[in-house]
Amino acid sequence: MNVILSIAKTTIGEAIRRRVLLIILLIGVLFLVIAPGLSVLSARSSYTVLVSFTLGVIQLTSAVIAIVLTVYLLPNEVERRTIYTILSKPVYRWQFLLGKYLGAVGALGLMMALMTGILVLVFKIMQAEAGMDVVMTLARAPMMYFVQMSLLAAVAMFFSTFASPIVNFFLTGGVYLVGTLFSPVFQDIAGNNSVNAMVKTAATVIHTLVPNFAQFNVQNTIINSGSQLRSEQMYYLQLVAYAFAYVAVFLIGGMMIFDRKEV
Amino acid sequence: MNLAIETKKLTKTYKTSSGMQSVVKDLDLEVEKGEIFGFLGPNGAGKTTTIKILLGIIDGTSGEANVLGRPAGDIESHKRLSYLPEKPYYYEHMTGLEITQFYASLFGIKDKDLCVNLLNRVNLGNDYNRPISQYSKGMQQRVGLAQSLLNDPELLFLDEPTGGLDPIAHIEIRDLILKFRDEGRTVFISSHELSDVERICDRVAIINKGEMVHQGRLDDLLSGGRIEVTADGVAENLVDKFKGDDMTLSLRAGRLIADLPDTMSPNEMIDAIRTGGGSVVSVIPRRKRLEDLFLESVSGDNLAKGRVTGKMTDDDKKADVKEEEVSS
Amino acid sequence: MKLKRAPMFAVMALCLVVQGAIARINYPIWEKTYSPRTGSDLRGLSGDQLLIALAGFREMVAGILWVRADTYFDEGNYDAILPVIRLVTMLDPKQIDVYATGMWHIAYNFTDEQSRSDRRYIPSALALGAEGARNNDYTYELFFETGWLWYHKIDDNYDNAVNWWKQASEIKDMQTARKNILAMALLRDGKLEEAVDHYQTLLDQAEIEFNKNSTEYQNRQNRDTIESNLDNTLVRMAQRGNFALKGGYYNEWKYDTNPPYDVGFSAQVVVEDSRVLRVEGTWNVQPVGTRVRITLRDADNPNGIPAGMKWDRSNTVDLDPEKDVTFMQDALFVKNQSFFKRIDMARDPVMYPFTTDKYYVEFYYNPRSAPPHIQDRFGFNGEGMTDSNFLNTDIRNGQRVVYCRLELTRDQLLRTGEWSTKTPVVKTTNFVPTGARNSEDIIDVPGMRSDTGN
Repeated sequence: MNVILSIAKTTIGEAIRRRVLLIILLIGVLFLVIAPGLSVLSARSSYTVLVSFTLGVIQLTSAVIAIVLTVYLLPNEVERRTIYTILSKPVYRWQFLLGKYLGAVGALGLMMALMTGILVLVFKIMQAEAGMDVVMTLARAPMMYFVQMSLLAAVAMFFSTFASPIVNFFLTGGVYLVGTLFSPVFQDIAGNNSVNAMVKTAATVIHTLVPNFAQFNVQNTIINSGSQLRSEQMYYLQLVAYAFAYVAVFLIGGMMIFDRKEV
Repeated sequence: MNLAIETKKLTKTYKTSSGMQSVVKDLDLEVEKGEIFGFLGPNGAGKTTTIKILLGIIDGTSGEANVLGRPAGDIESHKRLSYLPEKPYYYEHMTGLEITQFYASLFGIKDKDLCVNLLNRVNLGNDYNRPISQYSKGMQQRVGLAQSLLNDPELLFLDEPTGGLDPIAHIEIRDLILKFRDEGRTVFISSHELSDVERICDRVAIINKGEMVHQGRLDDLLSGGRIEVTADGVAENLVDKFKGDDMTLSLRAGRLIADLPDTMSPNEMIDAIRTGGGSVVSVIPRRKRLEDLFLESVSGDNLAKGRVTGKMTDDDKKADVKEEEVSS
Repeated sequence: MKLKRAPMFAVMALCLVVQGAIARINYPIWEKTYSPRTGSDLRGLSGDQLLIALAGFREMVAGILWVRADTYFDEGNYDAILPVIRLVTMLDPKQIDVYATGMWHIAYNFTDEQSRSDRRYIPSALALGAEGARNNDYTYELFFETGWLWYHKIDDNYDNAVNWWKQASEIKDMQTARKNILAMALLRDGKLEEAVDHYQTLLDQAEIEFNKNSTEYQNRQNRDTIESNLDNTLVRMAQRGNFALKGGYYNEWKYDTNPPYDVGFSAQVVVEDSRVLRVEGTWNVQPVGTRVRITLRDADNPNGIPAGMKWDRSNTVDLDPEKDVTFMQDALFVKNQSFFKRIDMARDPVMYPFTTDKYYVEFYYNPRSAPPHIQDRFGFNGEGMTDSNFLNTDIRNGQRVVYCRLELTRDQLLRTGEWSTKTPVVKTTNFVPTGARNSEDIIDVPGMRSDTGN
């Protein structure tokens, strides 16, 4: 466990210093800070616009960071040959991979925490009359985005055990898109009686196999006050459990491939 | 069992666009405990591939590889060995001490003093709180050495330990390696060039194109030098008398220059010259040098035996590229 | 030492099953709550917008679009807003404000040069409101807004306003102050007793609130307002004879509404120029505040009804109204017992395409829409109003309205063909040019609170 944590810690330290990630983060933060200026344009529903825009910025920025960060983790190690010194130590490959993944998630968490902090700050300043509880409600969406991005990072990690960074970038991005898109498509198919059973079965299988990224987009109930969730805690718990299981699938797959890979 | 490393018919084959290509072919290595072993060969000869197999980073295609009495790649044996890769890079945001502590943690070692001591030992006592990005190549190499000593290893793999370093650094590293031997460690040095460091090897193996060319004690391998005899006023018939496969004789205007193997005594020839009325100008023994052996091994018979001096160069760029391709 | 394949695959498979199981359990909750409107038509999005939107950033795109729509508002570029409204509501069907603003915008903001709005859009506005209410049935807001469209914009069929506002009142976040409006709609819908009951219920509730915290100004004010509204209604019902009507003794006493007052309607329409009407006529009611509705519509449009259209015929929000339909509606303001207006449709050929051959020009007056001081004389249902020529109880089931229909042909309206040199004039038989009218015809309207007559 120490080994994994050491690798994770080092990975975080490196990731939060990577210039490309910091630039992406900076752009995200910039948008968060100027967001209130944008919503001034909208006399009506300025609050709604501000919330949806800022949450969207956090989500988009996090997704880009998650992918860019993770796709380079393994290739960089090989390129710098640091992987050889590490693997010549009593370190199993799965430990290395897990450490790298946890490091990625940790770095992502730090960056997302920063953005969420700025979000809270912006709302504290802009909506002075809104209570702290209202502002804290906002922070729930980034929490779920974090779970979502952890899953995305696991996908990227999996692909990085056999694909080059550029290929991986598109593969992971593709999985994210399909994982987000397929959910509404599936609902359409599942709810449509004119679709034949074969197609429905196929859709159900795909829906089960492709990670459902859409369900992590909890911003809607937060943006719009009339929350209809039967049990928010249950829903969030389920999402976390779902992500956990899926992350395990991708990491185990990645470990199996990485274990036999010639680096 | 006194072998630190043993391979039997170790072979590594890669699929390339031009068919199957063996990077290591039927390699039989034997490294004894407590010796400095030189693993020599030009770029692309398969040295790094062999080390990677021995460390379990890649698997051999066929054959056997044992390290410290266990199959290569065994995690238990990793606790007792260490590896310094060629031109290592480290996480540049970390200081020398941090990186050493990081590697220590991979062994489960939390002892900061140990790390500091090791860094002092490699003469980084004043610099270990500076980030790696500010280190010179030599300093980075020394950090590498420090980390390779963390686990008090029985066996050290040093891949091109002097590559790109200045002569002073060469000497520093040579002295360190000698100390390692004194401490009873086995040191496995892989190199494509022949610096002072390789000269301290107890035994060497020379490989070329994946195949073993020579393996043995340096003293044994360097036996078989030449003796050059120069004489004036030598008669023609003398040349005919000594002509043989293993020597070169040149006679011009009464001056003879003869080059004979040191296995042959020059006395007979000297006597004959004197008897024939000639006078011996000089008798110079030329001991075989490591460079000669190396060149002999890797260049086939194209180069004159024992005559061409100078060290191996990176001429064989093609081979270099090839190795990069197949191993990364 | 490699990982063993079999157990790893087993764990992997197990995790896959677990996530699938969680997703299954999860699904019903997710569908109900976060699913964007199923069957959303996103064709209007550009490629990049679509991609971003579908990649889970619907709300973000919606927000950005809405900001853009606001600049269109400021620029007066109303046409550009329509698709944005549609997109935003599709992307994020929880944006109540966008629905509300959108339907208001669609229904009110498309106007011709003389500020008549393009009522061909009303079915779309209603459909948008209905859709918004469906997608946001946890809040009263869009039920209320849709009701308001019926009540204020269409201002004719109060039954629908009542229905929407009843639904709104049932949702718990309905504002107390806004609940009064249902009673007003009930009155206009002719459901007087129900209105009284509603006021009474509200009063009872307000009383409870007031007793809970009698120092709260809001509670006192709310109770007092409802009380005064209820009192007013009861007084009006008494004075207008509604109780008497129910009790069967209406004709035994003099009520404000008895006997019915003849409004003496007459009208003439002159096509002064191509697509330009000069409308004049009489309305023998002295107090200011009467607006007689005039409409001009295709005679053969199946969706047309007398002085109106089937407003709630559409279930889809159609951003392109029927371009070949002509529908003009205006209000004729009565002053000195007559009205006069030039209606110029020549500058808005898109809104008034005049594609068919025959047109109805209709005059319509429904006392239910009248202000209270007029209603005091005419009654809630027009019991106190009559017209010797144009009283109609057919076109609005059971209601007493004044309705008059004249006909014009396309040639007449456009002044083409034989009408290029002649001026078409259509008028009611009783029409007398304003200047020639007898001053004795001026009649004071009796009223309890406005007996000055002017």
